[in-house]
Amino acid sequence: MAVGPGCLAGKLASRVGADAAPILAFDGVAKRYGTLQALAGVSFQVNRGEVVCLIGPSGSGKSTLLRCANALEGIDAGRIAFDGVGVDDKATDVRKLRRRMGMVFQNFELFPHLTVLGNVAVGPVTVLGMQRNAAAARAMDLLRKVGLADKAQQHPAALSGGQQQRVAIARALAMQPDVMLFDEPTSALDPETIGEVLSVMKRLADEGMTMVVVTHEMDFAKRVGNWVVVFDRGQVIEQGPPRQIFERPTVTRTREFLSHLGWHGESLATEAPLVERQATAGRDSFEAQLIPTGSGGHPGADAP
Amino acid sequence: MTFDWSVIWDNRWRFIDGAEVTVILTVTTMALALPGGMLLALLRLSPIRVVSSAATGFVEFFRATPLILQIYWVFYVLPAAFDITLSDFTTALVGLTLNVSSFNSETFRAGILSIRRGQWNAALALGMTKWQALRKIVLPQAVLRVLPALASTWVSLFKDTSLVSIIAVADLSYVSLKIRSETYRVLEVLTAMAGLYCLMGYPQAKLADWVHRRLKVAE
Repeated sequence: MAVGPGCLAGKLASRVGADAAPILAFDGVAKRYGTLQALAGVSFQVNRGEVVCLIGPSGSGKSTLLRCANALEGIDAGRIAFDGVGVDDKATDVRKLRRRMGMVFQNFELFPHLTVLGNVAVGPVTVLGMQRNAAAARAMDLLRKVGLADKAQQHPAALSGGQQQRVAIARALAMQPDVMLFDEPTSALDPETIGEVLSVMKRLADEGMTMVVVTHEMDFAKRVGNWVVVFDRGQVIEQGPPRQIFERPTVTRTREFLSHLGWHGESLATEAPLVERQATAGRDSFEAQLIPTGSGGHPGADAP
Repeated sequence: MTFDWSVIWDNRWRFIDGAEVTVILTVTTMALALPGGMLLALLRLSPIRVVSSAATGFVEFFRATPLILQIYWVFYVLPAAFDITLSDFTTALVGLTLNVSSFNSETFRAGILSIRRGQWNAALALGMTKWQALRKIVLPQAVLRVLPALASTWVSLFKDTSLVSIIAVADLSYVSLKIRSETYRVLEVLTAMAGLYCLMGYPQAKLADWVHRRLKVAE
């Protein structure tokens, strides 16, 4: 998990979970909407226990790829394999695969007619045929985990964006998935609530959850991600460990994209300024969770 | 011209019986046309082409023809062509139910289509079948959203029941017009009839307005 300078060498030498078969593998995936080539031959893989972050300009195909991964959308060419099973194969029971992939959406997509508890329990009850009591108990555990147990009986409309997204994460976790897919989970949030969602995600990552995260939060990609895939115009233009992507991007367009977001290679050399920047942006809770343990710590990153 | 309002009082029980038939007809029709409309809406949204086309044809026919014709049709054609003989009340009920089901189906369909794709995706991503997603996630929201429209249909239906007087169902209209022709007290009887419809219809319309406002806030 740690990305301190001392870990760099080991990081580059081997990818997390590289010793086993990948849980998700994209091979030459192509998708077209009318005349728009949304995905043009995308290949990369996600190993068990990895946090893979997909970054790149808006409209570059990241979110489309995520929806293709659990067959919410079909693909025109190539292959997506989940745990070795082709997602698009005719013989595949898509619902069985979806149960094992939790999905978190940009706009939360909580079910407004159900309580917070109902939102988290509806999957286990409906899909897994779980008893209501057992499902409610599981849901309460997860709500506690995302810090929203006190909101269990409320309806989603009464919650802030950040709270809604944390419920959405709990809802996906209730199916006890092997992989969590995050589709720009913080893009629709107010700046002050982004931190609470990121910190929940960080904790998940620390627990070893395999995650694929489409994000514009470069801090998160750099610190929590094990592998970063850069998209542009429906293609993967570069992929590698975060240190490489953020500090020594080899592709010009990656550099352009990052500098467009205000990222420059030199500013990444030390992490202290980032911490300050995040703290002033109201992301304290994220920061408090983000301090990697046992890697020497970050100067100036005391929890408030 | 002199008025004789005693004719209303003398016939009060006939008016009340007529009003009762009107209310029973309205309630029974809606009780049947809600599930009927839902069924038609689901059939119209079916991916099976034959099913959706048949449902569409049915709905469009009843939306495009006058209710009075539909009531006559059930009254004359069912017995003649299919040898089905129904009581006058049942005939009226069938005619109204077919008509209101068609309108309700459009209401439900609009409600279902108004639920954004993301809600379906969220349900499917949990591993639900399409049917589960529809039943557990989409329909409850859709029904809530179209309640105001259904309330409007209800108020229209209440008044439209007056059309069944043409096939001699003893609703408020039929009874009133009958009393009129017996007594020749046109103004008195029609005024009483209007008063009774208004007395019953106004609270319903207000209730419909309240549903409108209530759900608008909830959205």
